[in-house]
Amino acid sequence: MAASNPPSAGGVMGPPSVARNAPASAASVPAPHPGLKRTAQAAFEEAPDTPPLVKMNGTPYAPQRHINDNYDIVGFISSGTYGRVYKAVSKRNSTKPVEPRPHPAGRNVEAFAIKKFKPDKEGAELQYTGISQSAIREMALCTELSHAALIHLVEIILESKCIFMVFEYAEHDLLQIIHHHSLLPRTPIPASTLRSCMYQLLSGLLYLHRNWVIHRDLKPANIMVTSRGEIKIGDLGLARLFYKPLHALFSGDKVVVTIWYRAPELLLGSRHYTPAIDLWAVGCIFAELLSLRPIFKGEEAKQDSKKTVPFQRNQMGKIGEVLGLPKKQEWPLLQAMPEYPSLQTVSMHNPGVNRPVGLDKWYRSTITNNNYNTQNGSPPPNESALDLLKRLLEYDPLKRLTAEQALHHPYFIGDGTGKPPSWNCFEGLDTKYPARKVSTEAHEISTGSLPGTKRSGLPDDSLLRPPMKKIRDG
Amino acid sequence: MAANYWDSTQAKHWTYTRPELTHLRNTLHPPTPNPTPTNKTPLPDPRHTSIYMQTHLTKLARRLNLRQQALATAQIYLKRFYLRVPLRKTNPYLLMATALYLSCKMEETPQHIRLMLGEAARQWPELGVTETSKIGECEFALISKLGSNLILHHPYRALSDLQALFGLTPEEVQLAQSIINDSYNTDLPLLYAPHIIAITAIFLAVVLRPASSTNLNANTNPGLQAFSTSTSNAFPASSASGTSTPSVTGTSAQNALAGFAGLRQAGPKLSKLVDWLAESQVAMEAIVDATQEMVSLYECWEGYSERSVKEGFTRFMREAGVK
Repeated sequence: MAASNPPSAGGVMGPPSVARNAPASAASVPAPHPGLKRTAQAAFEEAPDTPPLVKMNGTPYAPQRHINDNYDIVGFISSGTYGRVYKAVSKRNSTKPVEPRPHPAGRNVEAFAIKKFKPDKEGAELQYTGISQSAIREMALCTELSHAALIHLVEIILESKCIFMVFEYAEHDLLQIIHHHSLLPRTPIPASTLRSCMYQLLSGLLYLHRNWVIHRDLKPANIMVTSRGEIKIGDLGLARLFYKPLHALFSGDKVVVTIWYRAPELLLGSRHYTPAIDLWAVGCIFAELLSLRPIFKGEEAKQDSKKTVPFQRNQMGKIGEVLGLPKKQEWPLLQAMPEYPSLQTVSMHNPGVNRPVGLDKWYRSTITNNNYNTQNGSPPPNESALDLLKRLLEYDPLKRLTAEQALHHPYFIGDGTGKPPSWNCFEGLDTKYPARKVSTEAHEISTGSLPGTKRSGLPDDSLLRPPMKKIRDG
Repeated sequence: MAANYWDSTQAKHWTYTRPELTHLRNTLHPPTPNPTPTNKTPLPDPRHTSIYMQTHLTKLARRLNLRQQALATAQIYLKRFYLRVPLRKTNPYLLMATALYLSCKMEETPQHIRLMLGEAARQWPELGVTETSKIGECEFALISKLGSNLILHHPYRALSDLQALFGLTPEEVQLAQSIINDSYNTDLPLLYAPHIIAITAIFLAVVLRPASSTNLNANTNPGLQAFSTSTSNAFPASSASGTSTPSVTGTSAQNALAGFAGLRQAGPKLSKLVDWLAESQVAMEAIVDATQEMVSLYECWEGYSERSVKEGFTRFMREAGVK
């Protein structure tokens, strides 16, 4: 069982081609100890300081801060179409003292995750090609936003034709935690952890929505968890402002949200979607935390050409198997959806949608199958969890709970103890989750091929997930 | 952030007091004790520079069919950049093209870098750049100097929020919009919150309108010339005129200011505005100061000569070895 997520929407990635995109220096490091650290570091040295361009009309670009003067790279975390992520610590043997990097919460940031954006084209020599819109969005939004449940941006360094976004490092993410619990012997995620995770996630989401930001790619892999049990929403590469947009949201990015977490209005081709799409994704994440597997695990129909976006029949069917297909009595604007006619074809391919399981039954069997049991020390979540789940997985985006309404749901108010959820999701836990796999292996750096296409706003984490398997062994 | 100006990087990092601005600029351009004619070309009046840039950016933006907001954002990027880098050390044409290229991405109307370069080169023979990588490199410099603070709050939103409250006519809204466009040629965006600028523009528009309606036929009021031409142009969501005409002339703006004292007699709309201002938390001194700044801009505009700014640019680019 691979704990791999499908790539985020639109990420139509070919298999990694080894040679083409291998960073020159990483491929040919004749280090005496082909030490893993050396190689990870090499990725940061592949383009030594570009000589200032004399003809740059008076504005030769010279960075004010250098990544290698301030950070030591510890290893490689993941890669995607956007680039690669490395773990780093503050420079240790620096000639001049490296100033501490304060965190808004008052402490100093000890470890860093550095996201290195790939230049669009990669050849023998790097070229300035203009920064992708998704990188621009992420840089601008991360600089502007600050909340306890959002990943903290330490700084951005523009150097050697590359963009380095330096974030606080988070030891875990929800996908990793789900995976850990799904290993035999299968154990449920403790009810208190579940409730705290959901509360923090919704708090961060409320902050985003209040600031007119739709995340558009919420999924377990993008939700970080620190060793202190704090939830941190990450990856704002697809996020965008929705206050009076100059253009319909649809016209910018044709496809948003990883298929399993994609809201029905998106599947039905809605042009003017709202923050409610994030709440559907939160519902899917909630279900996945309960059952330890994606609730609607459909297969993505790939785009045949760039022009047309196919109807995601399979995914709609997976949702229908549990909820039944949407009906216009429950969702008045359903008939206005561009793909409404296609909806009729779902049941021909997937008769299961005619006899849906229903969320009640799904919930009961999930609780039973995952060994939630008061006797063995894993009491099930409060009964109100089912109601919250139903209101998040509501077809009609207008009826679906908003982040604010969800935070006022009885699930978070009265759990019998009367205590508000903790901001440490590990509070009272004995379980120790394995640390994030940080690879220092040479091949992982040089083979993680990144097709030279622009990120259509979406990461391809198919390359990101295989290391997860190794966590099991370690 | 988008919802809360007071928490934004604009409010926290890019809003100054007048003494702070003066200090920043003096550090950037140390006043030379004995400027010799052979030494350095004196810089044009900053407002004239700004008018020149706005005029040219508007032409470029219209060619690319861009929105007013992308144009406004690019202007602020340039303003901020030139608080940190001396104008005479740069190629202003490259900076203008790059600022617009970046602002288009930020305002969700991305343009291909090649198209931007092509259009910029066509418009400015002075650009002297033929490779897109130059815009790419300049983008790095620009973002770096801006500290990646790319999300902006413009007065247009406050204007659209307030227009119903004051019962503004479409003509008044349009004039206020033109005045906001003009405000990008002043320091106001670096001094005040966007709603202050919006209210100032509304105030000026309301004061000026009654005069215009009586004088429009006789065409004796040149103050609204730009305004009336602009309404007929096709530039989307914008009344920014392609020519370098201000929305208001210095004289009519001064009259407006004179009217500030006797506002209550000037009509129900004005007295409503004044009452609202008195009751609201809006800083009255800021409005008065901003109004004066706009009046001063319109006076300054009368001395604007496109040719002299252009020649100034050419000279200092030559001195810096840019060309």
